[in-house]
Amino acid sequence: MTTPTLRLPDALEALRDRLADAPLGLATPDRDTARRSAAEVTHQIDDYLLPRLRDLGAPLLTVVGGSTGAGKSTLVNSLVGAPVTTAGVLRPTTRSPVLVCAPADLGAFSGDRVLPGLPRVTGAAGGPGTVQLVGSDAVPPGLALLDAPDVDSVVESNRELAGQLLAAADLWVFVTTAARYADAVPWDLLRTAQERGTALAVVLDRVPPEAAAEVAADLAGMLDRAGLAGARLFVVEERALVEGRLPEDQVAPLRAWLHALAADQEARAAVVRQTLTGALDSLEQRVAGIASAVDGQTRAAGALHAAAAAAYAAARDGVDEGVRSGTLLRGEVLARWQEFVGTGEWMRALQGQVSRLRDRVVSAITGRPTPADDLQGALENSVERLLRAEADRAAERTVTTWRSLPGGADLLAGDDRELEQVSPDFPEAAAAQVRDWQGAVLDLVRSEGADKRSQARILSWGVNGAGAVVMVAVFAHTGGLTGGEVAVAGGTTALGQRVLEAVFGDAAVRSLADRAREDLQSRADELMAYEQARFDQRVDGVVPDAAAADGLRAAVRDLATARRTAA
Amino acid sequence: MSRRDAPLADRLAALREAVEVADGRLEVPEVGRARALLAKAGARAALGDATVVALAGATGSGKSTLFNALSGGEVSTPGVRRPTTGVAHATVWGEDGADPLLDWLEVPRRHRHEPEPALDGLVLLDLPDHDSVKLEHRLEVDRLVGLVDVLAWVLDPEKYADAAVHDRYLAPLAGHAGVLLVVLNQVDRLDAAAEAACLADLRALLDREGLGAVPVLAVSARTGRGVAELRGELARRVTARRAATDRLAADVRGAAAALAEHAAADGAAPLGRRERERVVEDLGDALAAAAGVHAVTAAVERSAHRDGIARTGWPLVRWTRKLRPDPLERLHLGDDRARTSLPPAGPAELAGVTTAVRRAREVVGEGLPQAWRDDLRRTAEVTEADLADRLDRAVAGTDLGPDRVPLWQRAVGGLQWLLAAVALAGALWLLVLVVLGFFQLDDVVPLPRVEGLPLPTLLVAGGLLAGLLLAVVSRPLVALRARRRARAAERRLRAAVDVVAEEDVLEPMAEVRADADRFRSAVDRARK
Repeated sequence: MTTPTLRLPDALEALRDRLADAPLGLATPDRDTARRSAAEVTHQIDDYLLPRLRDLGAPLLTVVGGSTGAGKSTLVNSLVGAPVTTAGVLRPTTRSPVLVCAPADLGAFSGDRVLPGLPRVTGAAGGPGTVQLVGSDAVPPGLALLDAPDVDSVVESNRELAGQLLAAADLWVFVTTAARYADAVPWDLLRTAQERGTALAVVLDRVPPEAAAEVAADLAGMLDRAGLAGARLFVVEERALVEGRLPEDQVAPLRAWLHALAADQEARAAVVRQTLTGALDSLEQRVAGIASAVDGQTRAAGALHAAAAAAYAAARDGVDEGVRSGTLLRGEVLARWQEFVGTGEWMRALQGQVSRLRDRVVSAITGRPTPADDLQGALENSVERLLRAEADRAAERTVTTWRSLPGGADLLAGDDRELEQVSPDFPEAAAAQVRDWQGAVLDLVRSEGADKRSQARILSWGVNGAGAVVMVAVFAHTGGLTGGEVAVAGGTTALGQRVLEAVFGDAAVRSLADRAREDLQSRADELMAYEQARFDQRVDGVVPDAAAADGLRAAVRDLATARRTAA
Repeated sequence: MSRRDAPLADRLAALREAVEVADGRLEVPEVGRARALLAKAGARAALGDATVVALAGATGSGKSTLFNALSGGEVSTPGVRRPTTGVAHATVWGEDGADPLLDWLEVPRRHRHEPEPALDGLVLLDLPDHDSVKLEHRLEVDRLVGLVDVLAWVLDPEKYADAAVHDRYLAPLAGHAGVLLVVLNQVDRLDAAAEAACLADLRALLDREGLGAVPVLAVSARTGRGVAELRGELARRVTARRAATDRLAADVRGAAAALAEHAAADGAAPLGRRERERVVEDLGDALAAAAGVHAVTAAVERSAHRDGIARTGWPLVRWTRKLRPDPLERLHLGDDRARTSLPPAGPAELAGVTTAVRRAREVVGEGLPQAWRDDLRRTAEVTEADLADRLDRAVAGTDLGPDRVPLWQRAVGGLQWLLAAVALAGALWLLVLVVLGFFQLDDVVPLPRVEGLPLPTLLVAGGLLAGLLLAVVSRPLVALRARRRARAAERRLRAAVDVVAEEDVLEPMAEVRADADRFRSAVDRARK
C-alpha cells in the first residue's frame, strides 16, 4: 500500500465512513446480520474506540448488564448505597440507562465524549434512549457505573440499547441469576465479550443460599469451557432486601473489587488496554464479515444483472431469428426496390417468381421449408408484433428468474405486474423505430439502386448486343423476307432487359436485405437495451459501488498499519 | 354460530379440498404445511380424545416442580443446575389407551397416576426448557408444541417478559388462544402488591399480543398456592373432552389463514360471457393468422375459380386448366389425422399468438394472487407449446363448405357442349360438302343459306364464337362464386379456430381461475 500511514483515530474514522457507505440494499440471506454488525461496529467506534483513544486516562466506564429481572438495578443501588435507579418487579424495569459516577467525574460524561448519540439527562429519569447522569460520593473517582437495560426482554429497543452500551464499556459487570445462568441469550453476549476480549466480571445473583456452592461451581465450569476463565465471579445470595438493597455482606466483595480497581492506576489502565485491544482486534474479523456480505451483494447483483441480460439476449436472438427467416425482410426490401425501379405489375410478378424459384431451390437443397409468404400482411405491424412479443417474453422471464434469486423478490417490490411486461412507452418507441427503419431501407435502396440501375443498363446492353447478332444472323439467312429479325429485335430488347432486371434485382434485394437486417437488428438492440435498463437500474439503485468490499478491506488494512505505527 | 363451533370435520374437509385444489398448481410452502397438518389431524384423531397438556417454559421457571405438584410425586427431578429437564416426561391419569398416544408423541418416560375421576383422560407432559444454551432442548419443545392439545406456559416473575418466550412462542400462537394457558409460577417470591402489579403487567403484555382470551393463573408450586385452581382448570378441559379438536381447529384456522395469503380477493368472480367472447375473438384473430387460414381460403378461391373455368370455359381449351394442379389438393386438407402441407407460421404470426395468449392470460388472471398467476403462466406455456399441432388438425378437419357445382355452371357447361356440338355438326357438314365436292356432287344436297351465308359455315363460326363469348361472360361470374366460396370457407375455418381458442387456450386458463375460486371458498370455509 502506498497510502500514507494514518493516525489511529483517523483510520477508525475512515473505516466508520466506509461502513456507513457500505451498500447492503439487496435482501441477501446475510444482509440483515451484516447491517446489524455494521451498525454495531459504527456505534462501537463512535461510542467507545474514538473517545477511549483520545483520552486513555478518562474514568473507567463499567456497564452493569444482563438479563431482565436479574437484579441489575438493585445491585447498582446496593453498590452505591442509594436509590439511584429504579428497581421493581415489572419486566423490563430499566428502560433508560443510569450512569453513576463521582461528582468530580461528571464532566467526563456530560459531554459528547462517550456515547455521543445519546442525550444526557440529570435529575429525574429521562425517556427511553437517554442517559440519566447521577453524581454520587459513594463511587470512587475514576470509575463510573452504568445501569443498562436488559438484553433479553420483549422490548426490542432495550435489547439494542443494551448492546450499544455494552459495546461502549471498558468493563462489563454481567449480572445473571441462578435461574438464568444457562439461558441462550446472555451466553451469546458472553461469547461476544470473549471474542472481543472485553474485560469482564460476572455476578451470579438471586442464588438460593442452599444451592450457592453447586450453582456457582456449575457456572464457573461453563465460563471456563467458554474460554472466560479470567472473568471474576461474584455470588450474591437471594435474601430479603434491606430498604430495597441487598444485604451489605453480599455486595461487599464486588464493591471492594471495584474500588480497588478505581484506586489502582495501573490495574485500571490494564483493564482499559485489554478491552481496547480486544475491540480493535475484533474489528478486523467483524469488518471481514461485513465485507464478505458486501461481496455477496455484489454477487447477487451480478446474478440479477445476468438474469436480465440473458433474457434480453434471448429476445434479441428471437428478433434476429424471426427477421432472418427471410420473408419479413425481403418483402419490405422488395417492395421498396420495386417502387424505386418503378416496374409494373408484370415485372413484379416476374421478380416474385424468380425469388420464389430460388427459395424453392434453396429449400430443396438445405431442406428448410419455404416460409409462408404473405407479403400483403401489414409489414410494419409484423415487425412491431415480433418486437413486442420478444420484449414481453424477456420481461416476464426476467421477473420470474428474479423472484427465485436472492434479493430479487425484494427488488421487484410489488411492481411485478408492471415489470413483467414491456414498459408503457415501448409500443410507441417500437413503432417509431420501425418507421425509421423503413425510411432507412428506402434510403439504402435509393443509394444502392442508383448505381445498380446503371449496371443493369450496361448488362442489358450486353443482351441487346447479343440480340443484334442474332438479328443479323436471322436477316442474313432469310434475306429479310420473313421479318423474323424484327420480332427478335423486339423480343430481345423487351424480354432481355426485363429478365436481367428481375434476376439482377433479386440479387440486389438479397444483399440489401442483409444490410436492412443489420440495421433492424441494431434498432432492436437499442429497444431491448432500453427495456433491460429498467431492471439494471433497479439493481444499480441498491448496489451502486462494486468496489465497496475492497474499500472496507483496505480501511481495515490501513487500521492495522496505523496500529503498528502507533505501537 | 360462534367461530369455535364450526365442526372440525368440516374444517378439515375444507382444508383438504384446498390442498387438493392447490396440488400441482400452487408452488408455495404453505400448502406443504397444510398437508402435514392434515396428516397430523388424521393421526391424532385415531388416538382417542385424551387431553394432552404440556407444561412449557423457560429454564428455572419451575416446570418440573409444578409437574410434580400436579402429579403428586417426584416424577420429574427438579434441580438447581441449569438447564435441567432434557427429555419430556409424562404423567397419565387413568386412561389405559394412552400408550399409543405417547408413542406417537415420542415421549418415552411415563408415569401412571392413580385414577382420579376429575382428571381421568389427562396426559400431562413436562417439556424441556426452550431458552437454554442446549439447542436440542429447544428443538424438542418446538416439536411437541406442535403436537399437544393444551399448552400451559409456565412463567415466573423474573422471566415473564423474556423475548425468548414471547417472540418465539406466545405471539405466533395468537390464533390458538383457546388452547393456551399461562401460569405465573413462583409468586411466593413476590409480596401481594408486587404480585398484583406483575400479573397486571403480564396480562397487558398478553393482550398486546392478541392473547386476551388466555387465562393467567398465579401459582406457587413450592407453597402449593394456586395449584388447586390450576388442577381445576385442567379438569375442566379434560372433562370437556374437546381439547384435541379445539387444538386441531385452531391449527386448521392457522393453516387456512396462511393459505389465504394465496387466495384470490373476494372480487375474483368467474370470467363473464362478454369478457370470454372478447378474449376468444382476440385469440381467434391471432390463431387464424398462425394457422394459415388466409392461405387456405386463397387456395379455396383459386381452386373454385379453376374448377369453374374448367366447367364453363371454352371446351376447346378448357382441358388445359386440368393440367394445373388443384391448389387446394396440394394443401393436403380434409384429414385431421394427417399433417397438412400448409407452410408453418412465420415469426410475425407466432409473435401475434404469443401476445394474444398473454393478453388472454392477463384478463383471466385479473385479481388473482401471484402464486395463481404463476400457475396461469405455466398453463399457458404448456398450451402454447402444442398449439401449432392443434391448429393444424383443426384446419385439416374443417369442412370447407359444400362443394356443389352451381346449377348455372352446369347449364353453362352443357350449353358449351351444345355449342361445341353445333360447331362440330357444322364442321362435319362442311366435311361432307368437301367430300361431295370431291365427287362432284355439290348440287345433290341443297345447301341452306341464312342471309346468304351457308348454314354449316354459320354453325361452325357461330358455335365457336358463341362458346368463346359464353366463356368470357361467365368468367366474372365464376370469380364471384369463387370469392363467395372462399368467404364461406373462411367463416368455417374461423369458427374451427375459435373453437381451438376457446377449448385449448382459454379453457385451461379458465380452469385455473375456477380452481383459484374453489381454493378461496375452501380456505374461507376452513378458517371461518
